[in-house]
Amino acid sequence: MADLSTQNPCGLAQRVATALLRANGGTTACLQMPPLAGDATNAGQIGLDAPGFLSLPLSPALFRKARVAMEDAQLPKYELLLSADAIAAQVTQLKLSSAQTLFSMASGVVVAGKLFLIEAASTSQSQGQVYLYRLLLQEASGDWPM
Amino acid sequence: MQNAKDTFYITLRNRLTTVNPSRTMVLRAVTRPGILVQEAEAPVPQPHLDAFALSWTGLVADLQMPAILAQMGCEIQYSTAGAQNNAGLDRGRALEEMDYEVLKLLYPYSAQKMNYTQNPATAMETMVFWSEPEFGPVVTLRDRLSRTAKVTVFAYQEQGEQ
Repeated sequence: MADLSTQNPCGLAQRVATALLRANGGTTACLQMPPLAGDATNAGQIGLDAPGFLSLPLSPALFRKARVAMEDAQLPKYELLLSADAIAAQVTQLKLSSAQTLFSMASGVVVAGKLFLIEAASTSQSQGQVYLYRLLLQEASGDWPM
Repeated sequence: MQNAKDTFYITLRNRLTTVNPSRTMVLRAVTRPGILVQEAEAPVPQPHLDAFALSWTGLVADLQMPAILAQMGCEIQYSTAGAQNNAGLDRGRALEEMDYEVLKLLYPYSAQKMNYTQNPATAMETMVFWSEPEFGPVVTLRDRLSRTAKVTVFAYQEQGEQ
């Protein structure tokens, strides 16, 4: 049976999450997004042309090492907690259908000048609205300064 | 050898536009035929559904010939979860369609080797040719069916070619 009680989302959880992320050492993470006009040439598809990724800053974000068992030859994994307000602003600005689309378009995330690959994305919700995104990241093998 | 790899991919990509023009994907903001070279794209945790992904594996060089004959292993990986309007219950049929497309993409088993580092691309002196596909078993992961077809690609290393 449907729950017909009145629950008006007022954005409280989103504001609390944003404030907590900011207060607990919030930083800026940059999604590596493809250029708006993609490269449709042969050279762009066989690794000849530089992809020209754009850096999309997201803040406040909280970055921490994930508590996962370390295995041989496995690079460490990290968690990135992102404010839903920051994601919603970018989804609207880029006219995307969802945050999932935003993450699936990204080729990686740069935090503190280091590149990480996105392994998975999940959400925390309150009253049916997302207030926090959690990305599971893995350190990229290439040690390039970004 | 890179020219042979590029030629093989672009030959299959161009054939796909004829075999099944509706098999497209959006990758790096470009709508393109549903085939890609894994080593030329960003790594992804999950394979692209309903698209073919080429990955280069083995390499054997035959030095007993007048020109070096390179044999390169290529794996064509593809996955599907069926169509949304069928709630994924057509995933077996969708995989069979992709199996058939692999056969169509690979035939004929040769192409003129091209140098795509130049613009426009220039034809080289030899051909790239490849074996018939060797299909692996279907791998089921929840609602996703995957298969890998293995092909051996042969190409002569021309003088001055990197």
